[in-house]
Amino acid sequence: MKAGTNLERVLESGAFAVTAEVGPPKGTSPRVVERKGEMLKGYADALNVTDNQTAIVRMSSFASCVLLKHLGVDPVMQIVCRDRNRIAIQSDVLGAVALGIGNFLCLSGDHQRFGNHPTAKNVFDLDSIQLIHTLRTMRDEGKFLCGEDISGEVPLYIGAAENPYADPFEFRVTRLAKKIRAGVDFIQTQAVYDVPKFARWMEMVAERGLDQKVHILAGVIPIRSAGMARYMRDYVSGVSVPDEIVRRMEEAREAKEEGINIALETIEQLKEIPGVHGIHIMAVGWEDSVPLIVERAGLLPRPIV
Amino acid sequence: MEVVPRSPAEKTEAIPPCQVACPIHQDVPGYLAAIAQGNFGEALRLIKDTNPLPSICATICAHPCEAECRRGQVDEALSIRALKRAAVDFGCSPTPPAPAPRGERVAIIGSGPAGLTAAHDLARLGYQVTVFEREAILGGALAQFVPLYRLPRDRIQGDIEGIRALGVEFRTDSALGRDFTVAELKGRGYRAVLLGLGLPLSRSLPLPGFDMKDVWPALPFLRDANLYGRRIQPGKTVIVIGGGNVAIDVARSALRAGAARVRLVCLESPEEMPAFPWEIKEAAEEGVEINCSWGPKRILGEDGQVTSLETVAVKAVFDDQGRFNPTFYEDRTAIFEGDIVIVAIGQAADLSCLKDSDIQVTERGQLIFDPVTLATTAEGVFTCGEVATGPGTAVKAMASGRQAALSIHRYLQGEPLTKVEEPQPLGKLDQGVTAAVIRQERQPVPLLEVAQRIRNFDYIDLGYAVETAVREARRCLSCGAGARRVEDKCIDCLTCVRVCPYEVPVVTPATSVDIRADQCQACGICVMECPARAIAFGSSRFEDMERELEQAMAKVTPGGATPPRLVLFYCYYGVNAPPGLADFLKANITPGVALVKVPCLAKLGVPYLLKAFELGANGVLIVDCGDRECIYAQAALWVRRRMESARRVLEGLGLRKEQIELVCLPEERFQDLGERMSSFSQRLGELVH
Amino acid sequence: MIKGEQKPLPEIQGMIAPYKRVLVLGCGTCVTVCFVGGEKEVAGLASALRLHQRLSKGDKIIEEATVKRQCEREFLAEVARQIQSVDAVLSLACAIGVQAVAECFPTVPVLPGVNTSFLGLIEEPGKWSEVCAACGDCILHLTGGICPITRCAKSLFNGPCGGSVGGKCEISPDIPCAWQLIYDRLAATGRLHLLEEVRPPREWKSFSAAGPRRIVREELRVPAEDEKIRPKG
Repeated sequence: MKAGTNLERVLESGAFAVTAEVGPPKGTSPRVVERKGEMLKGYADALNVTDNQTAIVRMSSFASCVLLKHLGVDPVMQIVCRDRNRIAIQSDVLGAVALGIGNFLCLSGDHQRFGNHPTAKNVFDLDSIQLIHTLRTMRDEGKFLCGEDISGEVPLYIGAAENPYADPFEFRVTRLAKKIRAGVDFIQTQAVYDVPKFARWMEMVAERGLDQKVHILAGVIPIRSAGMARYMRDYVSGVSVPDEIVRRMEEAREAKEEGINIALETIEQLKEIPGVHGIHIMAVGWEDSVPLIVERAGLLPRPIV
Repeated sequence: MEVVPRSPAEKTEAIPPCQVACPIHQDVPGYLAAIAQGNFGEALRLIKDTNPLPSICATICAHPCEAECRRGQVDEALSIRALKRAAVDFGCSPTPPAPAPRGERVAIIGSGPAGLTAAHDLARLGYQVTVFEREAILGGALAQFVPLYRLPRDRIQGDIEGIRALGVEFRTDSALGRDFTVAELKGRGYRAVLLGLGLPLSRSLPLPGFDMKDVWPALPFLRDANLYGRRIQPGKTVIVIGGGNVAIDVARSALRAGAARVRLVCLESPEEMPAFPWEIKEAAEEGVEINCSWGPKRILGEDGQVTSLETVAVKAVFDDQGRFNPTFYEDRTAIFEGDIVIVAIGQAADLSCLKDSDIQVTERGQLIFDPVTLATTAEGVFTCGEVATGPGTAVKAMASGRQAALSIHRYLQGEPLTKVEEPQPLGKLDQGVTAAVIRQERQPVPLLEVAQRIRNFDYIDLGYAVETAVREARRCLSCGAGARRVEDKCIDCLTCVRVCPYEVPVVTPATSVDIRADQCQACGICVMECPARAIAFGSSRFEDMERELEQAMAKVTPGGATPPRLVLFYCYYGVNAPPGLADFLKANITPGVALVKVPCLAKLGVPYLLKAFELGANGVLIVDCGDRECIYAQAALWVRRRMESARRVLEGLGLRKEQIELVCLPEERFQDLGERMSSFSQRLGELVH
Repeated sequence: MIKGEQKPLPEIQGMIAPYKRVLVLGCGTCVTVCFVGGEKEVAGLASALRLHQRLSKGDKIIEEATVKRQCEREFLAEVARQIQSVDAVLSLACAIGVQAVAECFPTVPVLPGVNTSFLGLIEEPGKWSEVCAACGDCILHLTGGICPITRCAKSLFNGPCGGSVGGKCEISPDIPCAWQLIYDRLAATGRLHLLEEVRPPREWKSFSAAGPRRIVREELRVPAEDEKIRPKG
């Protein structure tokens, strides 16, 4: 065990893992995080907390993770390279470990142009792969990036994202390999709607034996409305929503129900793909759909390892 | 006015090919540009600067310039001769000031184009010149032999009066050898003598029947027709032998003199005929039968009356070396029936007047002279014109007169008699350039109807109307007037390379950027876009726009005028150039409007637009003639871009972008301008107050 | 070359407001090439400022001059007298030129009329793009001659982020994804293996890491007095 978190234990046990995402509030209330944590507790093996996602300022992932930890939930602390340099990040990791956080997801971060502070100066001292490398160095060598020793253990379970739908497609597997070489333990992918393309990517991953070296959790975003489907198809870069899904959402009498059906069908297919070790549900602003999906997907009860 | 026989050769740069092709190297692009701007007076002034016989040349010049015109590579050459005619017809230019007199006297024998040119040049250098003409009228071959329908005599007279005004003395009925000798002239104080004796004799053929009464030499026939109204008996058929310009003149004159039928017979094939193609074409239109490739063998007759000309078929006119050496198919003959034969196969000099002088002549009776200096073997005696050059055009004779005048000047001033370097022409236009030049059809020169022409000797060329002349002149590509890179300012930013619609500027290893002057179309886009202001025009006629603007503004600014003051920039070519329209423009200008003419709006840069406001304008109206009128590729695009740039500045200053407007007024809508202007004024008034 | 943009006229007017006699000083090098500070732009701006004076009934005197390169003292010497005779210099050079003028003329206020934008390349007339960040540690040999620090919106070192779609950057469809360009170049030159390697965190040498940088090359410096070798005697 590297960090001994619940997520790590579930994945190492060979069970099909479930993680879900929690968006922190644009405010100071701990209740928002706690309510979501309470709602999802028992339905997911770990809960990710986003780090100022789409560059919109929210309560920090660090603090939110601490709140979740207090509820007895295993948090995944997301860290983006956009806002902090290696000094701040390493410092935060030390603090997070001290407060019992063990899962970290290393991300480049959405560009600030789309956020609510578009004229902010970004940092990008490190990129996501270098961030993985940094955390691995801290954990395995007990050293900071600069080579100085860290006092005490640094138990980290290191995650990263991957987007099978981004370009250049051929490079996506190479990039995954680099993340593995840099020290990643688990991967949460971008939302999957186009299953065949995802399966093709997984084949390429398996060809290089990468599925043996890392746990891959496929991303699932339940769609709430036809408008959301169209928006994701047309405006969210790196997400591939087939027209068929948009059509289904448009024609559905009960859009939310149809969205959940699509998610369930997707999960069924994902389970069958070799190398997929779990799912990561990102129900942005629709967290209450998660228990329903997990239940109807037959993924309950969650294993206790 | 010191140096008159201007020699463009002093410049090392290549010059427009039209100017090189012109034997007297007139500033063709200069006067065409003036005409394109409707300034016929300036055009005439420029013509007179180098041409002492503007009217004559405007009428009969063989225009070698047109053959070299580079627009010929694009569509058709400029109609330069007809444009000169328009300058002479519509222009009026003041007489240049009298030169400072010199003491030396010069005698010129012969008042043909060569003698007249020499007289003019020497007079403008201050010499006391006397022209001796053996005939009763002045003008030499022009007055005696050139048919009236090609050259009305008042045109000769006009040009001669211009030369007389320079102080040249003319003596008619004064023949060398008959009335005086060269030695006597020298004795009377003439320090130099110039022999412009011409080629007044007609050659004949030593063939059977050529001694008959109705076999006439060409030149006496032409002289009689011109001077004495000689007619041909009605019903007669005239056979003209010869394929040169004189033969054509004879044929066309014979028609006009009453011949029932005129049959021209010549050795040459249609392509080989030495006559100018347009002359042949006009003759054919008038009904002259042209029979090519037949060589005269004999004239047949009955009772001393000509009945026909017997000819043999020509195998070849020239031999392998290109020398005149006709060969025939002796067995193939043709008979041309006719009543009168006029022989126009060549001319010869009459040097009998030089007998008993120290001026040497060859055994074959040709004058001996130095081809460079035109000096004869006798001290202080020079020669010029056809007697020196052989038969040729009037303008070639003029060039020879000019050359002789220069030699005489140098001789009299004790300067060495060296050769004048001939100028080099700009090369051909690149295909890339010709492809980008906008096609514009040549304006045809209107002629009298054929039926009207052949009835009399009236001048057949009706000449351009003012508007047509302007439009035709606008076609000039302004060769050589274009952009020049100012080396010490250029930073090789490549802007010119990128904006030129003609791909004229190129990047070369040797000079970084080479704005190929020989290819430039002088549109001015690069000059205005160059961020380092490192490009200048090759011609000063484009340079004074800023002054033009200041002067125009100065006229309208006095007093705190309450109506909005506006500047109207308009292209002074094309639509706006004819004086009638310019007058219209001026007449329709309301108070407070400054008119600024621009040599094509492609030369109107952002700084000028802003300068107008800086100098007190409240508004700027740009009058664009429309793409169809403009000869420059992309001019309309750039003027719009610059307007937008200037508008952005206005907005940055808290002004309104509507304070600059552009109206596109093609020719047919020009009358709308007054209305457009007043509505703009009104809008401006609302904006400003 | 250095690329810039002219500041908005109102901002310039605000800057020159306190001064009566203002010299608009152009620079004949980079800013001329990008159409913000050459002789033509100096004339245009000076004209606009004079026009503003006329409209606002102001009494400012606007002068114009352009030197070859404002960043060289020797060229500034040509206009030294004029600079000293004005109340302020409105420099249309890049920030380097502005600072050179300020350094050479300690008593004359120098105002920037141009925003120095970036080190860039002309894509086509009227379009320039940033291609170098002057990071001080060039890695173009690893990236197919395309700089990811400058041309990737996130300055990534290990390949494209998940927002690269259809060759475009996620931040704008007008911006090509640098990593797609790098990938294509390396594929075309048979060097895709370069992308397999994990590039470790970088030792930054740029301004943000190193502070104001300076290059010193002893062999090029003007000899000090005691270094000068003088002929004997």
